[in-house]
Amino acid sequence: MGGHFRLLMQVAFRNLFTSKINLLIGGIIFFGTLLVVVGGALLDSMDSAMSRSIIGSVAGHLQVYSDESKDELGLFGQMGGEPDLAAVDDFSRIKPVLEKHPNVKTLVPMGTNGALITSGNTVDLTLARLRDLYKKRAEGGETPGLRENIDSLKSHVRQMVALMEEEMARSQALLSETARTPEEKEAIARARSEEFWNGFEADPFDSLEFLENRIAPQIPDGDMLYIRYAGTDLDAFQRTFDRMEVVDGQPVPSGQRGMLLSKFFYEEYLKLKTARRLDLIKQERDVNKKTIATDPQMQRWVKENQTQTRELLFQLDPIKTRLAVERLQKVLGSQEPKLEKLLSDFLATDDANFDTRYAQFYAELAPLLELYRIRLGDSLTITAFTRSGYVQSVNVKIYGTYQFKGLEKSALAGALNLMDLMSFRDLYGYLTADKKAEIADLQKQSGVKAVARENAEDALFGEDSGNSLVAEATPGLINEQEAFNGAMDSLRRDDLAKRVYSQSEIEQGVVLSAAVMLKDPEQLQQTLAELRQSAQDAGLKLRVVSWQQAAGIIGQFVLMAKLVLYFAVFIIFVVALVIINNAMMMATLQRVREVGTMRAIGAQRSFVLGMVLVETLLLGLVFGAGGALVGSGIMAALGSAGIPAGNEALYFFFSGPRLYPTLSAGNLIAAFVIVLVVSSISTLYPAFLATRVSPLKAMQTDE
Amino acid sequence: MTKDYTLGKVVVPALRGVDLQVHPGEFISIAGPSGSGKTTLLNLIGCVDTATTGVVSVAGQDTKLLSERQLTHLRLHTIGFIFQSFNLVSVLTVFQNVEFPLLLQRKLDKAQRRERVMQLLEQVGLANHAKHRPNELSGGQRQRVAVARALVTRPQLVLADEPTANLDSVTGQHIIDLMKELNQKEGTTFIFSTHDAKVMNHANAVWRLADGKILDRLSASEAQRAMASGSH
Ligand SMILES: Nc1ncnc2c1ncn2[C@@H]1O[C@H](COP(=O)(O)OP(=O)(O)OP(=O)(O)O)[C@@H](O)[C@H]1O
Ligand SMILES: [Mg+2]
Repeated sequence: MGGHFRLLMQVAFRNLFTSKINLLIGGIIFFGTLLVVVGGALLDSMDSAMSRSIIGSVAGHLQVYSDESKDELGLFGQMGGEPDLAAVDDFSRIKPVLEKHPNVKTLVPMGTNGALITSGNTVDLTLARLRDLYKKRAEGGETPGLRENIDSLKSHVRQMVALMEEEMARSQALLSETARTPEEKEAIARARSEEFWNGFEADPFDSLEFLENRIAPQIPDGDMLYIRYAGTDLDAFQRTFDRMEVVDGQPVPSGQRGMLLSKFFYEEYLKLKTARRLDLIKQERDVNKKTIATDPQMQRWVKENQTQTRELLFQLDPIKTRLAVERLQKVLGSQEPKLEKLLSDFLATDDANFDTRYAQFYAELAPLLELYRIRLGDSLTITAFTRSGYVQSVNVKIYGTYQFKGLEKSALAGALNLMDLMSFRDLYGYLTADKKAEIADLQKQSGVKAVARENAEDALFGEDSGNSLVAEATPGLINEQEAFNGAMDSLRRDDLAKRVYSQSEIEQGVVLSAAVMLKDPEQLQQTLAELRQSAQDAGLKLRVVSWQQAAGIIGQFVLMAKLVLYFAVFIIFVVALVIINNAMMMATLQRVREVGTMRAIGAQRSFVLGMVLVETLLLGLVFGAGGALVGSGIMAALGSAGIPAGNEALYFFFSGPRLYPTLSAGNLIAAFVIVLVVSSISTLYPAFLATRVSPLKAMQTDE
Repeated sequence: MTKDYTLGKVVVPALRGVDLQVHPGEFISIAGPSGSGKTTLLNLIGCVDTATTGVVSVAGQDTKLLSERQLTHLRLHTIGFIFQSFNLVSVLTVFQNVEFPLLLQRKLDKAQRRERVMQLLEQVGLANHAKHRPNELSGGQRQRVAVARALVTRPQLVLADEPTANLDSVTGQHIIDLMKELNQKEGTTFIFSTHDAKVMNHANAVWRLADGKILDRLSASEAQRAMASGSH
């Protein structure tokens, strides 16, 4: 018996390396195993990296939200805006129910929404500052310092009008579409005239209004920016998502209103475009080793930097303009008097001068400029459509920027800005009956007069509306036709910004969802089912979903990617099956004489069948092991070196700039099983044919 | 018995009524021109093919009544084969080739097999080539390995279809001598076909075939005379 099997093995083993066809089949098995091992391990690693990205940024292991929601939760957004979710009226009611479960570690209330922020154009902003100064003067009288500031801003405005006139002349010469209407021209002419500026002080508010209404709108760059934010218990958020770190500035003080902008968002959308483009070029050069000479995208950035200098020019008042001219003249060794031309020359970067110009930009020019449209410590006015259909504006102080470790470059993870729950609820604008009563109480206590609906507009926009608790009373107060229009008119609510809210105030009220972190993530499915049950038992209409579902299109996208990859692997194996099958047929035909001889000598059909199967199995084992070994080697190498994400979209899926894939025993076993099954199946028919070889074949002489 | 081959619509009668009997210990040669039916006859006797009509009995058993499995079993235990082109398993060593039928039989343990194989290799004079591969041997040596393989199971009957056709005449002579020697020592029955008159000399009896029929059964000397007269 033992000898019999040994014989099979012997024949099979010897055949392995003598038959060329076997080497071909071996090669296929080798690469098949390699592919499954490497591909499987990469997919799994990417999957777990991505799950780390999703779980570790906002989703947590599970998300809980109202079962009355029309849409499904999509934390990373979905096609066509934010999903339509019903609110969970009171987070403090669902919290104890969910926290009772032994596997629940922490619970973070949240709500994501999108809104527009308006950050007026440079002219707007300068005029607003000027108006503030005049207001201060009206209230407290003139001081020499105030006078100096007013004069500096005035000359800045005059400078900007001069630039606008120049631009107008140029676009007219080019017959460009941006040519202005006669009224616009007339306005600019007036703002350029000496009489206007001589008469400015006579009625500064009137003059400012003229500039605000007739000049500022001619500058198109005061753009509205879409911002996604998650309102959350910021302390709990920071504790729970340990990947989160504050980059610049400071965390929002405990219990206070405030906002942390995503570092990515801050850089991408709020930084001076010229500086941002310089940063991007630097990154492409340093990280991705591209050159300006060969990369069209980088060439475009350089071109834009050269032509779009207005952003810089407008920021500089006459003093700073003179400084900038001097510095650039020195740097460039040029006598050119015009800043626009100097900037354009300075920003004409190529691979040779880029690094010096980059350093010079930050050393010489940046100190004269506002690098970001919003400074840390500034308040941001966010305008959102509330659930009640009103437009609501809320001022939130920006305390700093944050990022998720490893996901710094990911646009997906970087799209979300964080906000306190109070401001979020104001913007969301939906109050429960309880909350309304509470607010009424609060208003009585703090002695703030309730504002009747008819008077709301006055109260909100009147010059001395500063002290009303407007935001909290919002839904009942705001006239629906009236939209707030930007930074200038929004409310100063310093008292709100300074208030410290207690934990129960934070937790009592509307949230859209809650992130659940588990102690043991392995038991996710079970915990999910149990939480569903306990919510139901408690009479709460809640949906409990896994992070995959909560991620919205991202989760689905990865599922799709996996399906595609598995389908590709399947196709490859079908092809391998056909090839192995054909090769085995050829091998069998080649060996008809040998098989015939064995049959003649007295080998049963079962022996022949065993011989072919053992041979394939051995082939599969030997070459499969080889493939698995080489695959493990590749994975080990990749695991220690990491795969660079290259494309920033991949950061999210790699959970960082590099993916460090790991190989699990499961990957190896799966590869082995698949390879053995595929090779066995593909041998069945050839093996059957081999058993049908007649012993007569042994008698035939070579033809 | 008769044997017909069907080639498409044409029926080729390879054997047209052959009746013969072989006794244990005989050393018989089948002679005849090409296409006379020698190979066909040996295949029928060797149970690798079946007769169209008539009966083949081997060791007293009617082969018509046996299943495919049983026929294979019969071949393994009672018949040895020597082929014109040696048909050794090229990936196995000389020793393993000879051992092959013993392993299929599963009757002997490793030591017994070893002893038997070495004994036969000694008899064919290749004991010191046991570890060689067939492609390292000359044609004559290969055929001697094949002889050893055919005899290692101690079969009652050894069939050899033109065992010398691929060898030069001197080597062929050696092979026939070897077969004759084993026939005398072991009492094994041999039936072999050949074209070669010199080879026939060694046979106890020569059957002459022509057109699928046995012409006559001659003793070796008769046959030689007949050949001589036939050729002159
Ligand atoms: N498989 C087959 N199919 C059809 N006809 C066959 C087959 N094998 C043999 N024949 C025919 O049967 C007849 C006898 O052939 P056989 O091979 O037995 O002759 P042979 O005496 O062995 O000839 P040779 O000396 O050439 O080997 C020949 O006419 C041959 O063409
Ligand atoms: Mg023949």
